[in-house]
Amino acid sequence: MTHWAMVVEAYKCTGCQTCTTACKVENATPPGVYWRRVLDLEVGEYPNVRRVFLPTQCMHCEDPPCVSVCPTGASRRRDDGIVYIDYDVCAGCGLCALSCPYGARWLIKPYEFYYGEPTEYELNKFDRRMEGAASKCTFCMHRVDRAGETGKKPGVDPEVTPMCVNACPAGVLHFGDLDDPESEVSRILRSKKNFRLLEELRTKPSVYYVLEEEIVLPTEQVAAEP
Amino acid sequence: MVVKRVPTYCYQCVSGPDLLYVMVEDGKPIGIEPNYDISDKHPARGRICAKAYGLIHKTYNPFRIKSPMRRTNPRKGIGEDPKWEEITWDEALDLVAAKLREARAKGLLDENGYPRLAVTLGEAGTPMGYYGSFNAFLAAWGPVDYSFGSGQGVKCYHSEHLYGEYWHRAFIVAADSQRTKLVLSFGHNDNATGGVNSIWKHMSAKDRGMKWIQFEPHMSVTAATADEWIPIRPKSDGAFMLAMMNVMLHEMDWRESTDVDFVKRMTNAPYLVGPDGFYVREKGSGKPLVWDPVEGRARAFDDDGIKDFALTGEYTVEGFEMGPDKETVREGEMRAKPVFELLREHVKPYTPEWASRITDVDPRTIRRITREFVESASIGATTEVEGLQLPLRPVAILTGRGVSNGWGAYLVVWARTVLSALVGALETPGGIVGATTRLNKPMHDRLATVRIGEDGFMAQSLNPTGKGLWRIDSKSRNFHRALSPLVLDSSWSQALGPSTIAWYFMDSPAQNWPRVTPPDIYMIFRGNPMVSFMDPDLIARDLSRMPFMVAFAFTIDETNWFADVLLPEASDLEGLQLFAIGGTSYMEQLWDYIGVALRQPAAVNRQVNSMDMTDISTELAARAGFLREYNEAINRGILGYPLKTPSYDFSLDPERKYSAEEIWDRVCRAATWTLSGGDEVHGLDWFKEHGFYLARFSRLNWYLHPLMVAKKLRYEVPYNERLYRVGRELERRLHEIGVHWWDTKLDEYTPFPVWEDPLDKWDEWVRELGEDPREYPFWMISTKAMPQLGSTTVANALLADVSRLIAGQRALLMNARVGRAMGLRDWDEVLVEAPTGKTARGFVQLREGVRPDVVVASGQLGNWLTPVAKDIKMININLLTKMSMTTLDGTGSTADLLRVRIRRVG
Repeated sequence: MTHWAMVVEAYKCTGCQTCTTACKVENATPPGVYWRRVLDLEVGEYPNVRRVFLPTQCMHCEDPPCVSVCPTGASRRRDDGIVYIDYDVCAGCGLCALSCPYGARWLIKPYEFYYGEPTEYELNKFDRRMEGAASKCTFCMHRVDRAGETGKKPGVDPEVTPMCVNACPAGVLHFGDLDDPESEVSRILRSKKNFRLLEELRTKPSVYYVLEEEIVLPTEQVAAEP
Repeated sequence: MVVKRVPTYCYQCVSGPDLLYVMVEDGKPIGIEPNYDISDKHPARGRICAKAYGLIHKTYNPFRIKSPMRRTNPRKGIGEDPKWEEITWDEALDLVAAKLREARAKGLLDENGYPRLAVTLGEAGTPMGYYGSFNAFLAAWGPVDYSFGSGQGVKCYHSEHLYGEYWHRAFIVAADSQRTKLVLSFGHNDNATGGVNSIWKHMSAKDRGMKWIQFEPHMSVTAATADEWIPIRPKSDGAFMLAMMNVMLHEMDWRESTDVDFVKRMTNAPYLVGPDGFYVREKGSGKPLVWDPVEGRARAFDDDGIKDFALTGEYTVEGFEMGPDKETVREGEMRAKPVFELLREHVKPYTPEWASRITDVDPRTIRRITREFVESASIGATTEVEGLQLPLRPVAILTGRGVSNGWGAYLVVWARTVLSALVGALETPGGIVGATTRLNKPMHDRLATVRIGEDGFMAQSLNPTGKGLWRIDSKSRNFHRALSPLVLDSSWSQALGPSTIAWYFMDSPAQNWPRVTPPDIYMIFRGNPMVSFMDPDLIARDLSRMPFMVAFAFTIDETNWFADVLLPEASDLEGLQLFAIGGTSYMEQLWDYIGVALRQPAAVNRQVNSMDMTDISTELAARAGFLREYNEAINRGILGYPLKTPSYDFSLDPERKYSAEEIWDRVCRAATWTLSGGDEVHGLDWFKEHGFYLARFSRLNWYLHPLMVAKKLRYEVPYNERLYRVGRELERRLHEIGVHWWDTKLDEYTPFPVWEDPLDKWDEWVRELGEDPREYPFWMISTKAMPQLGSTTVANALLADVSRLIAGQRALLMNARVGRAMGLRDWDEVLVEAPTGKTARGFVQLREGVRPDVVVASGQLGNWLTPVAKDIKMININLLTKMSMTTLDGTGSTADLLRVRIRRVG
C-alpha cells in the first residue's frame, strides 16, 4: 500500500511564503485563498519569546471530519491517503470548511482575480469547476499521479512531487510514502521527535511536524487580518 | 497537450539570479518551477525565491504601461496630472533621440561641467540583469552622472560596502557557513534578503549544529530561526562589539583568546605608532617599523630577519612619523607602541558593564557570548581546501542594513573586522569572507583586485585628498571624488558616493561649493526614488527642475509621474539577455561553478506594446548618431565578454544595426568560448534550450587568505593610520576653501573608532527641528520580508497577497505590553507623528518580539500611485523623515531610523 504524507521540519522555516506562492501559481487559487500558508506565531512573552513559523495546509487526515460531514459525497479520501474534493459533485454548502479543525478548506464563490479583471494567464489556468465549490490542498495529486506513467518517484523526483516541497528554500518540507520504510519521510519520523496538530481530535493527520516543542494551533491568530 | 519548459532567470533582488523554468502549454505560461537541471551545481540546490514564482502575475499585470507615452502637461509636481498621450515607438524613440542629439551638439558636459545625461538604475545593481545592452548605450554616450540615488546610502549596507571593500574586498560579507559553527548576527536579516542561497546554507548548517545568535531590536524573520535572540537597543551594536574586545583583551589572556600568529603576520597590530598617532617609519625606506623582541630592536615590517613581532610594550625608536600631505610631523628618537598595545588601551574603558548600560544586554551575556566566540574559533585548527591546508576559524560576525549604514556604522564594520581578525576568522574557512567587489577593479574578479600596495597592505585607489591632487570636479553631482575618498572611482562609485548629496544639494546649495544644476536629460530604469529614497517632497522639487526625463516604465509610479516620456520595455519574462551567474556574489553565493544564464521571452503579454531593452538601446544609439561607438563598446566586451580576441571573432560590424537576437547570439558564443577555453561554442539557440552554461570555480577563490599570504600582504586593521591621514588632508582641503559643513563627517577618520551613541545624532537633529526628542518616545526602524522587496515587486498582486501573511508587512509592529497600555489592539488604526511635522496613518500589530521603545515599519510601500501598492495602507519611514546633513555619517549615508510618537485614531 501507499500512504502519502508530509513531514514539516518547522524549526527551519523562515516564513518566506515561497511554498505559499508556488502553490498559488501551481494551483491557480484566487487571492485570499491559501491552500497552504505559513502562520507567523509567537510563543512566550517579551523578552523570552520565540517566533515560530508554522506551515499549514490540509492534513490529509486518515479520519477526516470533512469527508464524513459532506452531504454530497464530493469530499473523499483515496486509498493512498489523499483527501480530495470532486468539484463537479460539490454543492458548496461549506459544512466541510466548518468541520475542518485546521482551517484548511476554502470556499470559492465567486472566483476572484488578482487584478480585478481576469488576466490572460488566469483565464487560461484557473479551474472553473472550483467556482461555487470547496477547495483545498490536494497534495498536488495531479503531479503525484503522474508517477505511474513516468516511472518517477514522488518525494524524490520534482516532476511528481507537490510544488510546495519543490519550492521550499529551507528544506523544511518532505513528501513521501509512509508505508515505505526507506522513504525520506519515514526516515525523518524515525529519527526526529515529531507530532501532529490537534492530535487529540483523533483525525490522524498525514502531516507531521518536527519542532522543539508541540505547538497549539492558535485559531484566533490564524484569522487575525484587517 | 505538450508542456514546454522555457529556461530563464529571476534577478529581482541582488541575491539572485535564480534559475527557473516557465512552464508553457500551447504557447501560454501555466507555471513556474525551479530549473532542476542546475540543482546539483547550485548552492541552494536550484531552489528559487518567492518573488520568482510571482513573475507570471507580474507579466500579466493589467496596470502595465501599454505603449509609449508622452507628457502633455508641462507642469510637474506630485499633484500635477501628466496628461499622458499615447505615441508610437517610432515617435517615442525619435523624441528621445532628438533630445540626445541636442545635448550632444551642445557638448556632453554642461556649462558647469556636469554630464548632461544623468541616469538612475534602481535597486542595488539588479537592473544589470534586465537592461540588455543599455550599458553599451551609456558607455558609448560618454560621461554619465549616476549620482541620483534611489535608495543607496539609506537602504543599503553602505559602510560595509565602503569599509568592507577597503579592508578585505568585501563589498558584501558572507559567513562561510558550510563550515561556520557560530554566527553572531547583528541585525543581519538573511532570511528576508539573503535569497535562497543564504537560507538553504544556513538551514543545512543548522542541521549540522551551527549556532546562530541574533541581536536586534525586534525579532525579524531571521531571529525566528536563530538559537538566541538578544533584543539590543537600536544602533548600540558597536558598543557590544567593543565590550567583546574588552573581554578578549583584558579579562581573558589575550595570548589565548586571540590568534597571535594571525594577528602578528596578517594585520598591522605589530606596527609601531609614534606620539602623534602615525606609524613610526624607517628613515630612508619610509617603511613602518615593528619591534623585534628577540633582537631587542626596531626593524622595517617586512625585514626578512625579523625573529618575532612585539605586540605589547613601549619602545624608544629612531625614525619619523609621516602625517597628512606626506609631511614629516616628527623625526629622530621617539617613544612608540605597537598597534596592539594601543588597541588594548583603546578598548579598556569599554567593559561589559559599560556596554550593558548602552545596549540593555546583561554583562554576563556579553561575557558568555564573547567566550563562546573565542572557543568556537578553534584557534590553531586547520582544514584542507582543494589540497591546500588553511586555518579553520568557524565563527562569523554578520551585520544588518540598519547597523552598517549611518552614524555608528564605521565603528560596527571596523569592530566586526577586527574581532574576526583577532581570532583569525578573516577570509579563512569558516569565518567571514567578502562575496562581492564592486568598487575596486576588475569588479568581477575579486582576487585580481588584491594588488601589492604601500606599507605592506593591499593597494588602495582612494580618491586623492593630497595637496595639489584633491579637487572638486563635476564628474558627478554628488562630488564622490571630492567628498568620499573610500568610494573610489569605478562604475559603481557615483551611485554609492554620498548618494544623498546630488538630490540634497540641487535643492539646497551648500556654502562655498559649486551649485548643482539639473541634468538636461534624466533617465531612470527600475527605480522609484520618490518612495524608496527619503523625503519625497525634496525629490519632487528636484525632479520638477529636470527639463527632460525619460522613464522606462512598468506601471505608473510616484517617480515616473514626473517623466516626459514613458517607455514600456519588455519585462522580466519578455526580454533577452545573457547574464553572469556563479563564482562568489552577494549575499551568500559561494559557488563551485561560474558561468552565464539566459533570460529569454518565456511569457509575453500581448496587451503591452513593449520593446526589448537591447533593441531600444540600439535604436537610441543609432537615431542619436552614435551607433558606431555603441557597437564598438559591445565588441570591447561591455556585455560581459569581448566579441573579438586573438582567439575568436564574433564581432559586430560597427556601422550596422543588429537585432537583440543577433547581438546576444554573439555574446553567447564569446561567453562559452571563454568559459570552456575554446572547447565549446554555443549560440543563442543552444541557450534557449539549455538556459545556462557553467565552468568549474575553485573554492580557493572564496578566501583571500592564500593570496594574502602568497603576496606577503596584511589587512589594514586594527589601526586606520592611512584613513586618519586622509581625513586630516580632506579637512585641510575643505577648510582651505571655507567649507565647514562636512566637518562632523571628518570626525570619523580616526585611527580607532571612538564610541559615540549614534542615537544622539538623531536627537540633535530633532532639536534642530525645534522639537523635544522626549516627545517622540518610539524609535521607528524598518524591516523586510522575502516576497515583497523593493519597488519592482510592490505592484505584484500575487506577492502582495502572500506577503500580508508575514507580521509587520501590513502593519507597524509594536511591543504588545506597550500597545495594550495605550489601549491598542491588533489592527487598530494609529496616527504616527514625526518631529519633521509629517504624519502618516496605518495599522498596528502587537507582538511580543519587539522592544518596548521601538516600532517597526516595513522597508517599502507607502505608495500613492503605483497600482496594487497604493491600496496597501502601510507606513514607510521614507515618507516621514527628511534629508539632513546632521544625520549623514562620514560616508554620506544614513539609516532607517526616526523618532516618532503614536496615537490611536478614533
